[in-house]
Amino acid sequence: MAFMRALRVGLGAAICVSAISCGGGGGGGTTPIPPPPGPTANTASVVVDQGPSANSVNTLFTSVKVCVPGSTTSCQTIDHIQVDTGSYGLRLLAPVLTLTLPVEMLSGGGSLAECTQFVDGYSWGPVALADVQMAGETGKSVPVQVIGDSRFTSVPAQCSSTGGTQEDTVATFGANGILGIGPFETDCGDCDKVVRNIYYACATTSNCVETLVPTAMQTTNPVTRFAADNNGIIIDLPTVANAGAVTLTGSLIFGIDTQSDNKSGTQTVLTVDGTAELAMTFNGTTLANSFIDSGSNGIFFADSNIVTCTNPNINTFYCPANTLTLGLSIQGANGVMVNNLTFNVGDAQTILSTAPTNTYFVLPELAGTLPAGNAGTFDYGLAFFYGKRVAVAVEGNKTSVGTGPYFAF
Amino acid sequence: MPLFRPNDIRIAAHLSALLVAALGPRLACATLGEPEITVQSDVAQLRASIKSSEDRVGFRVHEIQLPGGTLLREFVAPDGNVFAVAWNGPTKPDLRQALGKYFDIYASAPRATPKDRRHMNIQQGDLIVQGSGHMRALSGRAYLASALPSGFNLGELH
Repeated sequence: MAFMRALRVGLGAAICVSAISCGGGGGGGTTPIPPPPGPTANTASVVVDQGPSANSVNTLFTSVKVCVPGSTTSCQTIDHIQVDTGSYGLRLLAPVLTLTLPVEMLSGGGSLAECTQFVDGYSWGPVALADVQMAGETGKSVPVQVIGDSRFTSVPAQCSSTGGTQEDTVATFGANGILGIGPFETDCGDCDKVVRNIYYACATTSNCVETLVPTAMQTTNPVTRFAADNNGIIIDLPTVANAGAVTLTGSLIFGIDTQSDNKSGTQTVLTVDGTAELAMTFNGTTLANSFIDSGSNGIFFADSNIVTCTNPNINTFYCPANTLTLGLSIQGANGVMVNNLTFNVGDAQTILSTAPTNTYFVLPELAGTLPAGNAGTFDYGLAFFYGKRVAVAVEGNKTSVGTGPYFAF
Repeated sequence: MPLFRPNDIRIAAHLSALLVAALGPRLACATLGEPEITVQSDVAQLRASIKSSEDRVGFRVHEIQLPGGTLLREFVAPDGNVFAVAWNGPTKPDLRQALGKYFDIYASAPRATPKDRRHMNIQQGDLIVQGSGHMRALSGRAYLASALPSGFNLGELH
């Protein structure tokens, strides 16, 4: 299939460039004069498809090559890693990982493990080090989480007591891993100072207690560890027909204003607050805890005027009799406002169950409710990215048009 | 008229601590659907502190500050039982503690298809658990539909 071919081409480029960039170190002898450096290949292919467990819609995937730190041979390329602007750090599902990556060791003793919490569940596993390669970019010894590692099967009660499903298999996780490339550097931020039921020190693989952990050891947005093009990313996806499409391929570009292919141009910069949120105005109400999120598979908001589906399996989704076109404004923490955006809300029952859209995995009109307690939120999922070039700048990093954390489009 | 005098809960706190100490974990694993006194066992179990206790029209809210930064709110009906809990913060609270006997129903309930990591809407009989959010900002609520005080507006449950 076309997108697989594109992925393979991208990986070929990654291997070539990393081979060139290797070497160095060592002493004595004459060093050959290196060829003048060309631009680093900074674009990975991304695809929206059904995912490895065939239960995904509106989910963006890419491939990531991971190596045992320092090795050029103990490497593995893993496909169907979810691209998520709503989290931070690379997490790999142990069942698909063939490498043994070294687990980080805390200076006070014990190996480092992590309880990653999602709304509907949690994932448990050690934090290990890997060289992470995408396109021509390499991050050396990046802390990554290995979810469902067979050496760490004993989940601390405090972690499992956050409840929901333990998501440690490809089937329960819905991906072979997740690439958190949102606008922050680490998944916790201040876990060097505050214990938050995220990081654990394990004296043995079944005896883990909560711990503080230095920032540099926390699971880290791997882009920030690239040697170059490390101030953020751009997701560039083509326009999709309102009805959707079976699949969609696009680009994940590393760096902003670092090369000729990632210039900001006239993009509007909307900075985000300390939880990566901004304000969206919908139906005349400003929703202060809103977010743009490639990891959300629909458009989620509260509107009691739109009928929800009667099918109990999807009764949190909207099923209007006719497709609705609705307006939205987005305002950054910097006060900059983008007005006059529109989005469509289709009948989820028809979209998910009737031909031809029941075979589509790209569904721009799929929208659902949020619990009334979250009335201050508009969650604009992957559909926001369809037909757009969206830049995500990481906190503290400068581009030609601003300083992260921000979204620009 | 407030449903309770504000000092009642503090007195109850001391009694509860003694009871917990005397009876061990049996009392400590209760909240949703249990008497208000178990709010204090939650506070003790969760190494937390009560930030505020507020009487509203027809119910009372205890806001518990957890050490990891998350706020847990426990809603008490006029009959003295906890009918709902809600949370928001960087991580989820100990829901085994906060949901008590309802935790296992929540934990084993089937999840949504298509796969959805950002939202949760579970209805198992009387128990409703809902949530949304993303890394560093998770929120949710759980309540017993039959135990809501009459006229209670679900919009207050956050």
